[in-house]
Amino acid sequence: MRTHRTRRFLSPLGLAALAALMIAIGAGPAGAAGTFRVAVGVDLDTVDPAQMTTTTVANMVDYVAETLTSLGPDGKVSPWLAESWTVSPDGLIYTLKLRKGVTFHDGTPFDAKAVKWNFDRLKDTQVRVPIRAPFPIKETDVVDPSTVKVTLTKPSAPFIAALSWTTSALVSPASIDKQGNEYKNIVHTVGTGPYVFKERKKGESFTVTLNDKYWGKKPTYDTVVFRIVPEAATRESLILAGQVDLIVLPPIADLPALQRNSALKVLLAPSDRTIFISLNTTKSPLGDVKVRQALNYAVDKKAIIQNVLFGAADEMDAPMAPSLFGYCKAGNYDYNPDKAKQLLTEAGVKPGTKISFHHPTGRYVQDKEASQAVAGYLREVGIEPELQTMDWPTYVSIINAGPAEKTVHQLAYLGWAPAFLDSAMQAFQFWSGYHPPAGLATSFYKNPSVDELILAAEKETNADKRKALYCDMAKQVWSDAPWLFLYVQRFPIVYSAKVADVGSLPNEKFAAIYARPTN
Amino acid sequence: MSLFRQYLAQRLLASAVTLLGVSVIVFLMVRVLPGDPAQVLAGLLASEEEVARLRTDLGLDRPFHVQYAVFLERLLHGNLGRSARTSQPVLEELKPRLRATLTLAVVSAALATAAGMTAGALAATRPYSRFDYVLSLATLFGVSMPTYWLGLMLIIIFAVHLNWLPAAGSEGLASLILPSLTLAAFSVALIARMTRATMLEVLGQEYVRTARAKGLGESLVVARHALRNALVPVLTVIGLQFGALLGGAVLTESVFGWPGMGLLLIDSIFSRDYAMVQGIVLVFSTLFILTNLVVDLLYVAIDPRIRYA
Repeated sequence: MRTHRTRRFLSPLGLAALAALMIAIGAGPAGAAGTFRVAVGVDLDTVDPAQMTTTTVANMVDYVAETLTSLGPDGKVSPWLAESWTVSPDGLIYTLKLRKGVTFHDGTPFDAKAVKWNFDRLKDTQVRVPIRAPFPIKETDVVDPSTVKVTLTKPSAPFIAALSWTTSALVSPASIDKQGNEYKNIVHTVGTGPYVFKERKKGESFTVTLNDKYWGKKPTYDTVVFRIVPEAATRESLILAGQVDLIVLPPIADLPALQRNSALKVLLAPSDRTIFISLNTTKSPLGDVKVRQALNYAVDKKAIIQNVLFGAADEMDAPMAPSLFGYCKAGNYDYNPDKAKQLLTEAGVKPGTKISFHHPTGRYVQDKEASQAVAGYLREVGIEPELQTMDWPTYVSIINAGPAEKTVHQLAYLGWAPAFLDSAMQAFQFWSGYHPPAGLATSFYKNPSVDELILAAEKETNADKRKALYCDMAKQVWSDAPWLFLYVQRFPIVYSAKVADVGSLPNEKFAAIYARPTN
Repeated sequence: MSLFRQYLAQRLLASAVTLLGVSVIVFLMVRVLPGDPAQVLAGLLASEEEVARLRTDLGLDRPFHVQYAVFLERLLHGNLGRSARTSQPVLEELKPRLRATLTLAVVSAALATAAGMTAGALAATRPYSRFDYVLSLATLFGVSMPTYWLGLMLIIIFAVHLNWLPAAGSEGLASLILPSLTLAAFSVALIARMTRATMLEVLGQEYVRTARAKGLGESLVVARHALRNALVPVLTVIGLQFGALLGGAVLTESVFGWPGMGLLLIDSIFSRDYAMVQGIVLVFSTLFILTNLVVDLLYVAIDPRIRYA
């Protein structure tokens, strides 16, 4: 039956032989029992925790290397390789008690010496550590084999939360100079995690196998294979064909169809990625708060979420994602074009005023489409946006051109996702010390009282007081509107209905280490 | 023979000069592109100091001509530098990728040549028959179908609906089938059209009439006299197509997640990994030049009238 159909289909091309071969090979690509197969869109640029920049890459490395604290699905940070800690009253010295009886995959004991070695490496400027800023480590001392004392260069309240991010994951000091590893560049990660680094085929796959000696709860699958499949439509085909068990980021327009498919489960995982349009407050007419508020009223965020993002986002109601520590609801700019027009008139903005609008393409989910939708709404209130689409590196060079007088952008579509769930990294965006080129606060927003709140929160060690400081900041920023607040993106994960216990972390990671077959 | 050697030496020298030119152009081209590799590499969350440190690390703070001198000096020693993105030597990164791309390109070229020439020859022997019309239509589809669309269609039919073949990856022979079919489609069509046209012309020649007149069977006439004489222009197309196949691999590889150089090139351009882009373009150019050289030499083997001396 099959042969017959094949021949009819292919023989005009003279490929019947190939078709026969195809069946002979019997490419029934079902995975071996005990293998969990994942398809992701980006290749691993590095497997060295210290050099980590990309969340999905970190997600894979997390199977192998673990951190001192851990981020839970609820966004709470809990003890992991560190069992407990104390902080000195000045917020400078952290004393951490380490879990005992843990060893790295190469048999090296996990102890205070190993932590010191890793932290010394983290602060060593010889090593490339792009996300070094959250770890202002001055020195690390071994108190006893299971206690380390970490002294910071400045008080940093979110330090414990930062320790849950993959940059600070611990690798075996003995693994350096082995398996191609160098002190400056680790290519074969040896951690303490539930899985062991097995094989990496660049551009193709990353394979890990079960760590029999894992200190914690053992996962079900013997092997996990991460396959690198850049094309979203191909990832979708892989999960539809049952050739993988989990994919991230399917083609967004297919979400409704995937949700109807009973063989699959779709998780629209809440994330911490805020998507907004940065309003350059140094460029007229955006210096006027009325204009900035008008732009916020002019855009129907709900409609864009529904029609452009197919539900994979939530409207922003504060300048940070709800999953961040320090979040509090600040308000709503409900769609109101009349109010927008009125505010623009009050500010003296004439209909037909041209405003440049830069946006990247292929960087954020539906970035180009959403930008076009926003531009459409702005036109309706009399603003003439001049859309400029560009690839990511070009875009970054435009919005980060230097001090305000050197920049040309007025509106800039951007996403911001703190590596760990604390408002500290989000607040950078509203802090005048982070204006380009020092950082990427591309709206050049400056409000002395907001600056003060941010600096105070950074130092405050009392959690409740910190929260209140960020809440005050959020409300002030919301009414000053240095952004056109859009939405908090969701991170779509699709997995086979034959698999259970798949979840997500609120920072765009899938939580599938303890995935298991349903039957 | 010594004349032939002289010809070969000239050609190789000219190739070297061409490659030098390519090296200058690609070196300048990547640097003219807007975007700071250090900023892209470090990510949005990196501090200004980390970005500056990275820039120094990558040698990007030096003037262009110094950077080029370093690049050229290394190149003469067979060193393509280190990838900014992975910190690994470019050559080491390229080897497995080159193998993957060549596998795909060679299989596709073989497929395209065999299918294209057979179909073209058959059509030429039955001009304006039903088969000929079907073939014209099929080749029209072949040359106008976007690779991306064709690739996804094949995936949907053979992986999703029939579940016979893997949708992506490069594990085993089975995974080679869909990408090589996708990649070959355009070339099959072109080669078939070229073969048909030249064959029709050759079949009208007097020596073919002579061959028929002396009582040779039709299949021998076609295979020995017509096809061989039609081969030179067809070979030129095949040679050019091989270059196109290497280029087409960029799209095909990204649709099928095939771990070749095309996919690496895209990643490298989007991360402004200068050393890697330079390395890939140089390797592609070398392959292109070599293919042309081989094609020129094959002319001699096929057509005794052509002499390089």
